[in-house]
Amino acid sequence: MTITAGGFAGKVLRVDLSTGKISTLDTREKYGAMLGGTGLGYQVLWEEVPAGTGPFDVANKLIFATGALAGTSVPCSGRTAITTIFPSCWPKALVGSGHMGGQFAAKLKYAGYDAIIVEGKAERPVWLFIRDGRVELRDAAFLWGSGIHRTTLEISQEMGADCAVAAIGQAGEKLAPLATVVNSLSHSAGGVGGVMGSKNLKAIGVQGSGGLRIAGNKEQWERLVKFHLSILGANNQHVVPSFPTPESEYYNPGSRWVGEPGKRWGAARPPVEITGSIHDMSRIAYRTNSAAFFLGEQAWKHTVRGNGCTSCPIRCHTTLKVPAMATKYGLDEVAQGTCIALNFGRFFFPTLPGGPKGEAALEACMIGMNMADDMGIWSNYGQLQRDFIKLSRDGVFQAKLGSAEYAAIPWDKWRAGDPAFLLDIIPRIGERRGELGQVLSEGSGGLFGHWGISEEAWGADHATTYWKMGHPKHHANEDDGQCGVIINTQYNRDAQCHSHTNFVRNGLPVHEQKRLAGELWGSPDSVDAPGHYTRMNKYKAQRAKWALIRKELHDCLGLCNWMGPWVASPLKERGYRGDNSLESRFFSLATGMDLDREELDAAGERVFTLHRALTIRDMETVDMRAQHDHVPRWVYEDPKGAQPFTPGTIRMDRDDISRAMDMFYEVMGWDKSTGAPTREAYARLGLVDVGAALQAKNLLPEDKP
Amino acid sequence: MTCDATAAFTGAAVEAVREASRQGRLATREDVLAAMEAEGVFLSPVGLEAEAQAAPPEGRDALLAAVLATAPDIIAFQGLSGQTVYHAPDLLSRTYARILDRKGSPLLLMAEEIRANSRDYPRPVPVELFGAPPFGLAPEEIEQALRGMAASPDYQDITFTTAHTGAVYLFSTRHLEQSYAAFLAQRAESLVMNP
Repeated sequence: MTITAGGFAGKVLRVDLSTGKISTLDTREKYGAMLGGTGLGYQVLWEEVPAGTGPFDVANKLIFATGALAGTSVPCSGRTAITTIFPSCWPKALVGSGHMGGQFAAKLKYAGYDAIIVEGKAERPVWLFIRDGRVELRDAAFLWGSGIHRTTLEISQEMGADCAVAAIGQAGEKLAPLATVVNSLSHSAGGVGGVMGSKNLKAIGVQGSGGLRIAGNKEQWERLVKFHLSILGANNQHVVPSFPTPESEYYNPGSRWVGEPGKRWGAARPPVEITGSIHDMSRIAYRTNSAAFFLGEQAWKHTVRGNGCTSCPIRCHTTLKVPAMATKYGLDEVAQGTCIALNFGRFFFPTLPGGPKGEAALEACMIGMNMADDMGIWSNYGQLQRDFIKLSRDGVFQAKLGSAEYAAIPWDKWRAGDPAFLLDIIPRIGERRGELGQVLSEGSGGLFGHWGISEEAWGADHATTYWKMGHPKHHANEDDGQCGVIINTQYNRDAQCHSHTNFVRNGLPVHEQKRLAGELWGSPDSVDAPGHYTRMNKYKAQRAKWALIRKELHDCLGLCNWMGPWVASPLKERGYRGDNSLESRFFSLATGMDLDREELDAAGERVFTLHRALTIRDMETVDMRAQHDHVPRWVYEDPKGAQPFTPGTIRMDRDDISRAMDMFYEVMGWDKSTGAPTREAYARLGLVDVGAALQAKNLLPEDKP
Repeated sequence: MTCDATAAFTGAAVEAVREASRQGRLATREDVLAAMEAEGVFLSPVGLEAEAQAAPPEGRDALLAAVLATAPDIIAFQGLSGQTVYHAPDLLSRTYARILDRKGSPLLLMAEEIRANSRDYPRPVPVELFGAPPFGLAPEEIEQALRGMAASPDYQDITFTTAHTGAVYLFSTRHLEQSYAAFLAQRAESLVMNP
C-alpha cells in the first residue's frame, strides 16, 4: 500500500530504561491501523505486556501517545494519552489511560515522534531528554523528591524555554495509584504518575524544531479549520451563552460560556476588557472562564488570562492571581486549572464560609491547584474528596487511624472550612504519609483493601457517586439516563466520556436537541431531557455506541473529548447543527488516508474493542456482563422514593437497564449474555488475531458452556 | 416609484433596521424614517424625491410599513408601547428583542421570561438572572415584581423552588410540575460540583 505522509510525525520512540537502549519504529507501518493515542497504547499492551502484569511491575509499560491531528492547526488537538496497566483499578489493575492537554503533544510531534513507549526500570532516577533526533537519559537525582514546579523549571532552564516538560511529583515517586503526570504546569493525566515513578523516570523534556505535513489540499485544510472555529462554542462545547446576548436566540445559566463584553480579566497587567461581539471567531477565547463558572463573579478580578493547549482557542485553564495566597499561606499567588483540578482543594470541604463561591472557596481552589499540581496528586475525578468527607463523617478515620495520627490532623480547621487545612492534608496524601496518606492515595480501592469497607456499601450511598472498580461515575444517569449508565459500565476507570454530555448539556432547548438527535441518531427519542427519562430504545443504544467510539477516536487522534464531538453549534443559520464528519474530514486531509465517517468510526470501534479484549484477557473471564459492566445500587434508588421514569428523578429501572445493556451489546455486535465481542466482531474489525488469541484462552463467548 | 427607486427605498429602510439591531435597539418606523432622512435617502438621485419625498409623513409611513412587511429577514411585532417595532433577527434575536421591549415593565419582563424558560428548555431560572445584563433589574424592582405577580390573578402560575444551596429558582406551573422544577433547580445548582 502506498502511504502518503502527513498528520503523523512518523516515528515511535522506544526507551528501555533497564538497558538504556533507545530505538524507533515506523508509526504507520507498525501502528497505523490503531490510529495513535490510546489505540497505539492498547496495541503495545496487547502485544508486549503479559496478562497478569501489575502496574508497578517492571514488565508494565507506559505509552505516551499523541495522534495524527495533534500538533496541527486543528482546534482542540493538544491531547496526549498515557496508557498502561492502571494502578487505581480495583481489585485488579487493568488497562487504562490518563489524558493530558498542554503543549507536550505538539512538541513531541515537532521532535519527530508520535509516541514514546517507556519500558523497563532505571537503576537510578532519570529524566528523558528529547531534542529532535537527540534522545538521552539524564540523571534526575537532583530532582527526585522535588515537586513538579521545580522539576519543570530546572529542566526548562537546561533545555530552553521552548521545551515542554511532563513530570511527576512526590506522589508519583512514592508509587501512589492516585498520582498524575503533569505538563505545562497544570495539564495532568490522572492515575499514571505512579507507574512513571516505579520506573524511576522523573520527567520527560521535549523540544522539537520540525513541522508536520498536511497531505491534502492546503486551501481545503484552511477552510475546514475556519469552519471548525465557526462551530465552536465555549468549554465543553456549550453552544449558547449563559445570559441573553443580542445574537443568540437561546441562553442557559448553566453554560460555561460566561464571557461577555464588559467583563474584565482584572489581574492582567494591564487589565483586559472584553469588547466586540462575543460570537465573533476572534473572541472565542474570551467565552470561557472556568474560574468564573465555578467560583462566580469574584473570579473575574483575579483572572490573568485563559491558558490552554496548543491550537485550542477555548483556553479552559484559567490563570488566577490571588495575592492573599502568598501573604496568608506562603504559596505562589498565581495558579491555573480547570474543572476538577481547579476544584481540588474546595471539594475537601462539605461547607465553606461564604458558600461555594465565596472567598474561602477561592482560596481553597488556589491552594488545591498549587499543591496538587506540584505534588502530582490525582483526585480520581473528585472521588478522593468525596471519600474523605464520607470517611470523616462516618467516623472511619477516628476508628482506623492511630490516635497520634488522628490527633495530629487539624480537624477543627476542616470543620470551620478553613482553607489552611489543605496545607496539612494534601502533603499527607501526596507524600503518602501515615496510614491516612497511604490509604487515601490508593483511591477508593485502598479503603476496600485496607479498611475492610465494602464496595457495595460505598456504591449504595448516592453521595459518594461511586460507580465501580475503584472509580466514580463520570456523567452517568444524572446527565443522560441509560446512555450515561451504559457508558459508565465500559471502562476500567471513570469513563471520562464527554461525547454524550457535551450534547445534552450544550444549552439548547430540548426541542432543538431532539431535532438534532433525530438527524444524528435516527430518532428524537435517542435523547431525553435530564431527569425526565423515558424507557430504553434502540436509538439510545446507538447513541451510547456513538459516544463511546467518538471518545475513543478522540483519544487516538489527539483531539479533546472535553470539547468534541462537534455535532451542535452556536450557529442558528445552520439550525444549530455542527458536523458529525469533522473528525474524518480532518483525518483524511491530514494523513491522505481517505476515510469517511463510517470508516473512521469503524477504526475507533476497533480500538474500543481492543480495550475490551485486553480487559477480558487480563480479567481472565469472558463474562463481562456479570463481572465487569456493573451498575451501583444508588442508580436504582431515589432519596425521596420517586419511581423510575417520573419527571424529577434520575432513578433507573433494573429491568430497563438490563434491556439497555442487551441493546448496547447488540449494536456493538457482541454476545448479549456475556457482553463480550464475538469471533465475528473481532474479525469484522480487523482483529482476527486478537479473537484467535482469546479463543486459545477460552475467552470467546462462543466457548462459554 | 420606479423599480430602482423602490429597491433603493427598501434597501435604505432595511439597512436602518439592521443598524438599529446592530446597536442593540429595536426600531420603530419613526426611527427608520429618521435614520433614512439623516442618511439623505430622500435627496438621493434615484427618483425617491418624486413620490416619497413629496408624500406627506403619513404617506411615507404607510409606504415604509408596506416595504418592511415584505422585507426579507426583518421581523416586526407590536411592542408594549403599542407601536410596531422591527429588528433583524440575525443581529438581534427574537428572544433579545422581546427582552428589550419589556424592559420598561419589570413584572411582565420577568413573568414572560420565566414562562418562556419553563416552556421551551424546560427549566426554572435563578432569580439572580434578572439582576444581571441584559435584564439589569435592581433588587427592589425584582422584589416588587415578584410581589406584584403574587397579588395578581394573571400570574398565579409563577412560583418558585429553593435549591439546597438556598438559591431561589422561578418557574411557571403552566409548563413545569413543582417536583420536576425542584429537581432541575437542584441539578442546576450542582453543576459546579459535577464538572
